Amino acid sequence: MFTHSIRWRFQFWLAFLLLCILSGFGFTAYQLHRTNQLRHTDQELERRVAAIGRALRESRPFGQRPRRPSGEGEFLPPSDSWRQNSLMLSNAPEVRPPPRTIVLPQPVLNLFDEADPNGFYFFIWSPAQEPILRSTNAPASVPIPVYQDTGTQISTRMRGAFRERFYFNTPRECILVGQSIRGDLAGLRRFALWLGIAGAAVLGLGLGGGWWLTSRALQPVNEISAAAARISGGNLAERINVADTDSELGRLAAVLNSTFSRLEASFARQKQFTADASHELRTPLAVIISEAQTTLTRPREPAEYRESFEACLDTAQQMRRLTDSLLQLARADAGAEPLEYRNVDLAQLARECVERLQRLAAEHQLAVHCELDPAPVYANADRIRQVVTNLLSNAIHYNKPNGEIRIATRVEKGHPVLIVRDTGQGIAPDDLPHIFERFYRADKSRARSSERTGLGLAISKAIVEADGGTIEASSQAGVGTQFTVRFKARESR
Amino acid sequence: MRILVVEDEVRLLRNLAKALREEGYAVDTAEAGDDGPYKAESYDYDAIVLDVMLPGLDGWQVLDKLRKRKRTPVLMLTARDTPQDRVRGLDTGADDYLIKPFDLSELLARLRALIRRSAGGASSEIELNDVVLDTRTRHVTLRGESVTLTAREYAILEYLALHRGEVVTRTALYEHLFDESDDSLSNLLDVHIFSIRKKLGAELIVTRRGHGYCIES
Repeated sequence: MFTHSIRWRFQFWLAFLLLCILSGFGFTAYQLHRTNQLRHTDQELERRVAAIGRALRESRPFGQRPRRPSGEGEFLPPSDSWRQNSLMLSNAPEVRPPPRTIVLPQPVLNLFDEADPNGFYFFIWSPAQEPILRSTNAPASVPIPVYQDTGTQISTRMRGAFRERFYFNTPRECILVGQSIRGDLAGLRRFALWLGIAGAAVLGLGLGGGWWLTSRALQPVNEISAAAARISGGNLAERINVADTDSELGRLAAVLNSTFSRLEASFARQKQFTADASHELRTPLAVIISEAQTTLTRPREPAEYRESFEACLDTAQQMRRLTDSLLQLARADAGAEPLEYRNVDLAQLARECVERLQRLAAEHQLAVHCELDPAPVYANADRIRQVVTNLLSNAIHYNKPNGEIRIATRVEKGHPVLIVRDTGQGIAPDDLPHIFERFYRADKSRARSSERTGLGLAISKAIVEADGGTIEASSQAGVGTQFTVRFKARESR
Repeated sequence: MRILVVEDEVRLLRNLAKALREEGYAVDTAEAGDDGPYKAESYDYDAIVLDVMLPGLDGWQVLDKLRKRKRTPVLMLTARDTPQDRVRGLDTGADDYLIKPFDLSELLARLRALIRRSAGGASSEIELNDVVLDTRTRHVTLRGESVTLTAREYAILEYLALHRGEVVTRTALYEHLFDESDDSLSNLLDVHIFSIRKKLGAELIVTRRGHGYCIES
């Protein structure tokens, strides 16, 4: 559950980021502080070491043993025996000059507060590694540093809670100054603790802030998704309330709204078509039922029965034509129509249709003129014939007496083209955009004729467009109408 | 009874007219929306059968126009059957609503009910003292015994019975019993009245000289 929620993922990453930043910051702060502390201590140690070193140097003119009047310090009992404080050249393996007594000058001694157990202390060893002098506050045992090479001639070491700096001077005496930094360490630990607490507080604050922000940001998202669910679940007329149209969410909502509008329109069209189709079917049904029932109310003459039957048959045929058309449209809508496609010639098909409708045209006193140039097209022959027949029959039906029909086929810019023109009453500009709609009848004042289903153009359009073609109509009221069908350009094989 | 049928499907119109005439109604027909309102407002029909989907003025508009002037009972015929259409029809002023395709017998029964109701009657039987009319079967009995009347005679009797207590002028009788497809002579009316009196008794229909006829309540 958590991994799917944007909010939780965001919180996780925020926590991670904050943690990294805070840790880095805290660590750095701590280190800096620590280094600073130590440096400060080291500086003090260095001062003292240097002071002692100077003092020793001054108190040691070669061979002499100076005595300073006021010196404090504990005399350490010399180890072993007194020896001459002069360099003795001998072959004895260890010539240890006797540890000399040192008295440090007062200013130097002032650097050490021997009453303070946590203060600075010093230790001085002879070159023979025997303690010469030490301060009273020095810890009981201070291990002598090891002289390894010139690298460690002067160095600092940390010994537990003691920071010590030592120096091997020229006669290899070791001067060590140290201080207990227990207090400092405690201080550092406290500092670290405070850093930790502060970091945790910031983390908490950050997470809290992040939570609040995501709540604010996700709230419109939740609203949008709730509204969208409502709309798609039932009321398609509703729209998402878009307050801020330019934000990212505003654009999302706008896109959703326009999708809903298209859906609503599509459903409305579907509903309308179903209502129209049902109406168109019910009327002939009413005729048949009414006719049959009336005829059966009492005994009638055979002629009357015959008439009644003929009327029923007529109407049933009309219904058949209508259901065929409806089925065709329904299949086209569903997109499932496996048809046999061949290379056909529009001119040939047009010629066949003209022949078939010749008599009907003659009955309406119409002349048909053909200009049929070869126009090969890859299509289903029956369907194309249907389109041509539909256009021709419209041309016949809506024509003026003694008018004419022109039908032409040719290839224009690689596209096979079919043109049917009539000299009929024309189509009003208001109606023109609608004539391909299902059940649309432009001529509403004309009583419904049983021949016309109102679906012919809709079907023609469906057939043509299924093959990637276009069908257009242009008309001038009172002059005539022209239908142009353009098929897809034939691909070269 | 004179009925107007307004329907744009010609075959259906012819058929309905035929069926109604065979039932004894006088029937006028109108195909388009312009004809319909004109006729509906010009005459006092006993009922109008009106199709909703008409070219030109549609059924709703015809009904609307009609209701401004007349209270003729209207039965709407339509292939539209959504509840909204029904509600609309009834609210606009239709008295009944029938969906196509319909049963002829249902249409006839509803028409009878409409006419009966507009004349104030509740049941399909009308009692006139000893004479009982069954408007459903178009059957008349005198003291229980069945009497045969011609279609015209029955129509006249029924009309007078439904307007019991009112004086019905001869003109009104003409208007309601003969339709435009009739070319009858006025004398026929007297002949029918005479015949009815002979079959059912002279007291049934009273002549009000100078005014008309009446079946007294």
